[in-house]
Amino acid sequence: MRLVIALSVAAVLAVFLLYTSIAGGGNPSLAPSELAGRTGTVQLAGIVVGPVRGDAYAGGLRFGMKDIGSKSTTTVAVRYTGSVPDLFKVGRHIVVDGQLRKGTFVAEPGSMITKCPSKYAPKKSGDPA
Amino acid sequence: MPELGRAALLVTLGLSTYALVAGAYAAHVGRRRLARSAQNALLAAFASTAVAAGVLVAALLRNDFSFEYVARTTSRALPTEYTLSAFWGGQEGSLLLWLLILTGFGAAAVSVNRAWAKDLILWVVPVFAAVATFFAFVLVAVASPFATQAAPADGAGMTPSLQNPYMLAHPPLLYLGYVGLTVPFAFAIGALLSGKLDERWLIATRRWTLFAWAALGVGQLLGSHWAYVEVGWGGYYAWDPVENAALMPWLAATAFLHSVMIQEKRGMLKVWNILLVILAFSLALFGTFLTRSGVVNSIHSFTQSSIGPWFLGFIAVVVATSLAILFCRLPQLRSPTKLESAISREAAFLYNNLLLLALCLAILWGVVYPMLSEAFRGEAVVLGRSYYDFFLRAFGLPLLLLMGIGPLIAWRRASLKSLLTTFRWPTISALATGAVLLVLGAGSSIPGLVAYTFSAFVLTTIVMEFARGTRARKALGAPSWLGAFTSLITRNRRRYGGYVVHAAVVLFAIGVAGSSAFDSVADAKLAQGESMRIGDYTLLYRSLDERETANATEIRATLAVQRGDRDLGTLQAGKNAYTVEQQVSNEVGIRSDRLTGEDLFVIAEQINRDGSVQFRVFVKPLVNLIWLAGLVFLLGSVITLWPDRREQRRLVARASTVGLPATR
Repeated sequence: MRLVIALSVAAVLAVFLLYTSIAGGGNPSLAPSELAGRTGTVQLAGIVVGPVRGDAYAGGLRFGMKDIGSKSTTTVAVRYTGSVPDLFKVGRHIVVDGQLRKGTFVAEPGSMITKCPSKYAPKKSGDPA
Repeated sequence: MPELGRAALLVTLGLSTYALVAGAYAAHVGRRRLARSAQNALLAAFASTAVAAGVLVAALLRNDFSFEYVARTTSRALPTEYTLSAFWGGQEGSLLLWLLILTGFGAAAVSVNRAWAKDLILWVVPVFAAVATFFAFVLVAVASPFATQAAPADGAGMTPSLQNPYMLAHPPLLYLGYVGLTVPFAFAIGALLSGKLDERWLIATRRWTLFAWAALGVGQLLGSHWAYVEVGWGGYYAWDPVENAALMPWLAATAFLHSVMIQEKRGMLKVWNILLVILAFSLALFGTFLTRSGVVNSIHSFTQSSIGPWFLGFIAVVVATSLAILFCRLPQLRSPTKLESAISREAAFLYNNLLLLALCLAILWGVVYPMLSEAFRGEAVVLGRSYYDFFLRAFGLPLLLLMGIGPLIAWRRASLKSLLTTFRWPTISALATGAVLLVLGAGSSIPGLVAYTFSAFVLTTIVMEFARGTRARKALGAPSWLGAFTSLITRNRRRYGGYVVHAAVVLFAIGVAGSSAFDSVADAKLAQGESMRIGDYTLLYRSLDERETANATEIRATLAVQRGDRDLGTLQAGKNAYTVEQQVSNEVGIRSDRLTGEDLFVIAEQINRDGSVQFRVFVKPLVNLIWLAGLVFLLGSVITLWPDRREQRRLVARASTVGLPATR
């Protein structure tokens, strides 16, 4: 009796998980150097590279992004509109959703997340301050 | 001074290794005096850890920047209370706090219980010592808080958003919760190892588990409130892996607190309970790992942290060893009773457990999915908000309903007829609430409407339970209604404290449903003198002011708020620019309506040179019920936790007459 209930619920759960992770799945998370040639919506994680220009509420904020912690110097141009988190600035780790259009990564409005300050990851000498 | 700290940690490592080895040997061959010495080593490990902690506190207070840790997390200008909070502001300090609480809890739990549960404690000590050895080793060899350097002139300072009273209480409460879950784990494994598989380990750890669970719950709500008021993006929970890190062990512990009652009353679910304890403790370790390793927030920075692999290895060892020990004892853990019907209190508790666990595992899956998909498909895939929201509804809503059914349905077997009488009024009140809300327009969100209907059901059952119990007490001769009510609670704290916690969960559900399913948002760029509308609020942007303070430039936009024709005064929203840290922070304006629990939430997203401001305004109905729920949750937890000698004596007496489950 108990086993039957447990197994049936476990089965339902397994189906749910498989369904959402395969069909309704999330977006791939990529570093800027992996972005070339990608179509479709992805999550881009990287370091903000200056100069930062433009207006997030008029025409879009423009900046570059490069890989975190790798030697690659590939920089992707990003256009972003919508709410800009407090911690956004050059050198900061950020994550944005969007897709590559004609060489520019066009972010979805309001999708930017900055690395949360509560992580306190040890600062490396190589990291820009 | 750093030498003293390092030496103290080495002593802790030595003592806990001794307690582990000597304790296990003594328990195995049955040497009482050696076992006693292992217990004392555990107590001494607490003392030496306290010395190490004292050294770090002193270094923080003296701004001794020759400690790398102090220089990295504080600065001279930092106020004293935040200098102290830097103790848990960094990785090494928070690991030291873990070890301090762990050895403290271990020493206390062992001292309190060694008189009446001697043979159990024999094996509990080495389990505690094993966990302490791991943390002491990491602190000595991998992440020492006492690393030194040539002292710089000033420290790097603390991120402005952490310079906040919430950060004084939120992290330590979470650590109390994480570490507190070690106590039931150590006693469960100790019971398995010793072969004393009666209910004593449950009696010994019930309050510890409750305490850890309450601390985790309150700690998380404080964190949510901090995010809501200070971080200023307009929400309180973002399904961030670090937030989930605390939620998962809390859900596992919640399941355990419920299934334990089934073991106490009916002798069932013994294996299940031990599995839940192992899961809760592993998730607490995993939570510490998530918050401290930086592995999740950027999947590409796994190597950034030196402790990550050690933690993963330890978690693997804990899970594998505990399951192996459990497997060896399986034959002794057979239940004397069986589930008789799918409609009974036992079954309701079982469904509750399965749903809590399903929710917990769904969240775990979401947290580890990016890492798994990177490992197996070569590409990290992140599951977003919609994934978590889906499972919160799919599993959370039935859980809410069960919260009303579980406490009232009959043990063993309930007839359909008895169900009709028991749940007549709750059902009527739920349907009536649903109908009224539908007429009022709550049909815009079906999950929200379902949540409200279920909430009405549960609240009715709780009120009925209190009313019935109070009436019975009055009939038994209580002098007044108030006297009857208080004696009802004091005579059965577990039950009625539990109901109070249930009421808190209902308030929480109403607050979450109101603020997420029925909220509204408006964006507008306003020049001075212009106004915007949201719902029946009108906001007039009146002026922009700039002010210099000691460490920041504060810019504030002042808005005049009207609701309908009524003037509600002014509200300020703006930004602080911190000079030293070179950071900007949003300072949101919130107007709470005390009567309806609704918030008007204003963010000044962007302040332009010409004085115009890009505003984002939310109206969040009922959101204040979430914070009220926190207070009620705390009250309920305190009621259940309050020391009750009579109950403890009764439980001990029952356990000593060979753990026969009292059937009812």
